Amino acid sequence: MIRFFILFLVIQAMLFGGELTAPAQQYFVVPWTNLLASASAALVKGFDPNVLVTGKVLQSTTNGFAVSIEAGCNGVEATIVLIAAMLSFPAPWKNKLIGLAVGILAVQGLNVVRIISLFYLGQWDYEVFEWAHLYVWQALIMLDVLIVWLLWVRTLPKSPGSGPRTPTPPSAAPAAA
Amino acid sequence: MKRPLARFVLLVLAWLPACFAIWYFSAPLLTLPIQWLSLIVAKIGFGDMIVDVEKAGSVLSFVTNLRPATATTFSGGRGAVIVDSSALVYTYGLPLFAALALAGTGLKRGARLAKVLAIGYLALLPFQTWGVFADALKQLAITMGPAISSQTGFSATQREVIVFAYQFGTLILPTVIPAIVWVLTHRAFLEQMSDQIAVRRGPSVDRLNR
Repeated sequence: MIRFFILFLVIQAMLFGGELTAPAQQYFVVPWTNLLASASAALVKGFDPNVLVTGKVLQSTTNGFAVSIEAGCNGVEATIVLIAAMLSFPAPWKNKLIGLAVGILAVQGLNVVRIISLFYLGQWDYEVFEWAHLYVWQALIMLDVLIVWLLWVRTLPKSPGSGPRTPTPPSAAPAAA
Repeated sequence: MKRPLARFVLLVLAWLPACFAIWYFSAPLLTLPIQWLSLIVAKIGFGDMIVDVEKAGSVLSFVTNLRPATATTFSGGRGAVIVDSSALVYTYGLPLFAALALAGTGLKRGARLAKVLAIGYLALLPFQTWGVFADALKQLAITMGPAISSQTGFSATQREVIVFAYQFGTLILPTVIPAIVWVLTHRAFLEQMSDQIAVRRGPSVDRLNR
């Protein structure tokens, strides 16, 4: 367990540090954020044609309200947390890769819902928008990451010789994994 | 119990609004230790620059001895630069943790719930202080411009570290630390939900669950 948490924090810090570098921003974060804005606009246009997208900015042509997808809102950090959690947990690589593919899709899918909801919340009430933006959606995205990780852990194959739901004796030695 | 994870998620979502409301209205009190911790960090590490940390509601004001430039915005009127940082931006993980704890422990186990909430609150404080403090330093070293940042004496490398600390304290720590603390304080609950976690974690001491 200790090994898992140390690995988790190290991988997370490394990925986050890498994300902040200029090449990562230029070749991954900015294009990804723009793609996210375009995807969100494409979905919105399905029921509301009054939306424009310019780079990472989503704008309403009805009232001019616009949201700019900034760091923390593009789902990259949440994805980094998920990647770190799955890579650091002891599991076969096949499970890790499948988990990452499905998990990243789940996190980014909810993030698109966040962007679209904020786009409309901002047009309705700016105070509610700020609350949802700064606090509520941040918490919900992390909850999503946690749920995806828990679901993924449940799908992992059992270690041989281990019994299910065995209570741990309090006098046992510290965990290795 | 059927679909324990779905039940757990629904419980978390049900508790979240109440936890957010309690957190918001009690934030002036809950963030008091962040002011104390910030004062300690300021005295130990930045005593030559930050002379006091004041608090109004849940906003912390870092009072410095830096001289304001004419082209720089600053609050107060005391002839020194003061930077504000909203503690709410760094503490919203607390209601998330509380909702997770309520869903994982339940109101029926009141004593354990109180213990878990107290542990979570205390465990989050240093990381929340990190966020608030890094925000203040980032404002002084970067946002307020060269007239102020030149007085801080920070090197280019130190400014890079401050930016990283600020970003990490804003984008990662507020949500990740509550999740980590929750996992650590609810291992027995996780075992019940998933055989796999119990299998992989190995033997360990879990006094909280007893």
